[in-house]
Amino acid sequence: MQGQANNTEKKNVIQQEKPRTYWYYVKRQFKKNKLAVWALRAVYFLIFIAIFADFIANEKPIVMKYKDKVYFPIFREYLNAFLGVPFPDELRNIPSWRDLQYDWALFPPIPYSPQNIDLYNVLVGPFDEQDVPSWRWRHWLGTDDLGRDVASGLIHATRIALSVGIVSMGIAAIIGILLGSLAGYFGDDTIRASRASIILGTLMLVLGYFYAIEVRKYVLIDSLKESILSFVLQLFISAAIFLGLLFLAWVLARPFRRVKWLGERVFLPMDMLVSRLIEVIVTIPSLFLIVAIVAIAEPSLFLVMAVIGLTGWTGIARFIRAELLRIRNLQYIEAARSLGFPHRRILIRHAIPNALTPVLISIAFGIASAILTESTLSFLGLGVPPDTVTWGSILSLSRKYPESWWLAIFPGSAIFITVTLFNLIGEGLIYALDPRFKR
Amino acid sequence: MWKYIIKRILIFIPTLIIISLLTFWLSTNAPGDPVEQMLGGIMGSEGRTTDFMATEQAYMEQRKKLGLDLPLFYIALQPLSVPDTFYRIPRKKHQEVLRRLIAQLGNWEYIQAYYLKLKDVQRLLYGLPSQGPFRKYRGKAYELINELFLTYDTMKIGFYTTLLAMTADSFVYEFSKLSMDTNLVGNSERDKAAIEEFKKAVYELRAAYLDMINNPETWKNYIPTIHWYGTKNQYHRWISGFIVGDFGISYVDKRPVAEVIKDAVKWTALINLISVILIYLIAIQAGVYSAVKAGTFQDQVLTVTLYILYSLPNFWIATLLIMFFGGGAYLDWFPAFGVSSLPETAPLWQRIIDVAHHLILPVLALTYPSLAFLAKQMRGAMIQVLKEDYIRTAYAKGLPDKVVIWKHAFRNSLLPIITLFANVFPFMISGSFVIEYIFSIPGMGKESYEAIMSRNYPVVYTVVMLVSILTLVGYLVADILYALVDPRISYSKKK
Repeated sequence: MQGQANNTEKKNVIQQEKPRTYWYYVKRQFKKNKLAVWALRAVYFLIFIAIFADFIANEKPIVMKYKDKVYFPIFREYLNAFLGVPFPDELRNIPSWRDLQYDWALFPPIPYSPQNIDLYNVLVGPFDEQDVPSWRWRHWLGTDDLGRDVASGLIHATRIALSVGIVSMGIAAIIGILLGSLAGYFGDDTIRASRASIILGTLMLVLGYFYAIEVRKYVLIDSLKESILSFVLQLFISAAIFLGLLFLAWVLARPFRRVKWLGERVFLPMDMLVSRLIEVIVTIPSLFLIVAIVAIAEPSLFLVMAVIGLTGWTGIARFIRAELLRIRNLQYIEAARSLGFPHRRILIRHAIPNALTPVLISIAFGIASAILTESTLSFLGLGVPPDTVTWGSILSLSRKYPESWWLAIFPGSAIFITVTLFNLIGEGLIYALDPRFKR
Repeated sequence: MWKYIIKRILIFIPTLIIISLLTFWLSTNAPGDPVEQMLGGIMGSEGRTTDFMATEQAYMEQRKKLGLDLPLFYIALQPLSVPDTFYRIPRKKHQEVLRRLIAQLGNWEYIQAYYLKLKDVQRLLYGLPSQGPFRKYRGKAYELINELFLTYDTMKIGFYTTLLAMTADSFVYEFSKLSMDTNLVGNSERDKAAIEEFKKAVYELRAAYLDMINNPETWKNYIPTIHWYGTKNQYHRWISGFIVGDFGISYVDKRPVAEVIKDAVKWTALINLISVILIYLIAIQAGVYSAVKAGTFQDQVLTVTLYILYSLPNFWIATLLIMFFGGGAYLDWFPAFGVSSLPETAPLWQRIIDVAHHLILPVLALTYPSLAFLAKQMRGAMIQVLKEDYIRTAYAKGLPDKVVIWKHAFRNSLLPIITLFANVFPFMISGSFVIEYIFSIPGMGKESYEAIMSRNYPVVYTVVMLVSILTLVGYLVADILYALVDPRISYSKKK
């Protein structure tokens, strides 16, 4: 008895010593909302499905013994894709993994890849009679008009949906936080620059556009056709040229600062510039813009992510801006200023971390709407390459075959459930972050 | 207040200019040549020189009519290697290939010589004989020439020009064989001259190509030049037309854009008007009811229902509605596509019923998400207001529930309704891509979707600009309404 009491006492002491951060309260508040907690768990499950899609739905076995040797074909596939290790000769060009003479084999739960075409079962429903060797090979959610397994397609499309949601919101968050904090923290009356630097800087912006974009236009376009990685590399080179030229402007402006008029320092209206930019982006009908860009370019998943991200950052930027407009007048920022810390340090170490939490709400809802946008695009037949199976693309097939209800119900439910989960998390965050609901 | 409104309208102008620039920039980067789109593709391998010249002439005239022979913008920032008259080159594909050649070699004089020679060769091709054995070679030369017009890989150009020279030799060989074998028939003298001329041009093309690749001046690519074109440019032509209400001509059916939009906006406005009325009628009632009964069973059922409705993707629901009620394989209650199935001559009331019958499903699919969203917002705002002290005071005064709810609480929770009201204006003319696409409604959504897909830029520009203007107007109206509803909000600075 005594020991137990001691223990609880100790626990209390430990709990009291633990510094209660803002995050602690947010988490505690979030956990009170059972629905949101379950939604978060369900999202973890979706992420699990997305990561291990190859092991859940694949034509190849996970483990198999073939001609007295044990193989892990799905791992070999990864080795082949990432490290270029070739497949063993006896496993190359196999027309049908199902009909191989195995000693034994462990197949994934759904033994079909999304691209597998089952000619014996074209457009069969889940309850229809299916021409399969045993229940193990049944198409549980039916097949599409080419005989591709719907369940396998849905599982692999989870990857696409989640990655579109997360990557596009990642892009949006980077842009939004960057611009929003510039506008909110600096406002219109903090950053000052000499007229010489502004004039030279503007000049160098034009030159930077010329050397980084105009001259390298075809290099950039061709690298995009080659691979995303080389495009990102080329983009970095362009960015380096651009920044280099701006730095040059700063260096060149130095001697001019001695001249009286040129040397005078004027305010840079950061807030005004960013607010105008936000207004422009908000005013353009965004789905219109996305469809227009996606329709012009070659279909690519990366482009869809980038475009959704580039049009979706305004909400985050507004949040951050409003938060920082409030925070920058608080005393601890003033204290940091009077200690002589540079703006950069205050902004990154003190101001932004405290403004970041409301952004989570925006990101949660943003992921939901990005997934919705992507599925709308693939429903319209835009965006992703035509052979890629996505929730939207399966759903769009149901328009061609109105009697195939499974082509509409299942992918639609997948979109609905995923969108709802992220919306629930967003709602949960609103309540967790709103001080009015704190008890 | 007036000062504020005027100030806001003045701020609109730069925003609209930026949007117009962005749309314009997007359209100039789109692949495809509008003129070719309107006139059909390029000429085949058959035909005579006069036909070829007529096709080129028609192309140039159409191009001039659409204003595409003008420079793009007031000002151009280009490398020294690109001449300031570059925009005059017809056919977008050729411009693209030449720009890429310039990017590799930088020596415009040589590239131009090569290009002009290539056009020469193309013209001369149609003077060549096409009967008998020549037919095959002419087809081959035609393919090679077209390939050359689209190739900027210098190695490949070398290869194709060599093949073209060989084809020209084949012509000479076939001709000499023919003139030995048979008695010369008909236009042999003319054919001979044409073949000789063609061969000469092809060899000159080959020489021009060698000159081009042997004299690169890549340094010219790194020197920026700025050229001022004045107001005679495509952007100026379009934007000044837009301001006076001349939206241009649709590339697809050659009708004025204003007419196209007038026909389409009719349906969108009708559907969206019905939808907006329904949204506000139902959502306000539902939201207020739910807030007043907060915490009860009815409220919970309503809240969950609204939440589910809000998260249901509307293109999915639209698909399901058509599938199950639109006479697919299941129930045949409603027509699935279009807006009307009766001829214009049918009696008016019959037509109204028919149209209503067609519109039930699309209006349903269009209404429920916004309805759910608005009701949710309404409930939230109302719950906040109902907690206020003045509501308790109103109850305590003995006012009837109805008066308290609708006169005291409701007026104070109008903000979300106004915020959403800002979106009504653009909504009225932009329509919904997906819903109109699914139900084949000839409204703005479908029209602009098709315009984007067929690169019908005059329509795209106009819709984007009109929607943007209405969005800005919506924001302004919302701000004014805020001030009207809530006297605490004031936009004039107090001193």
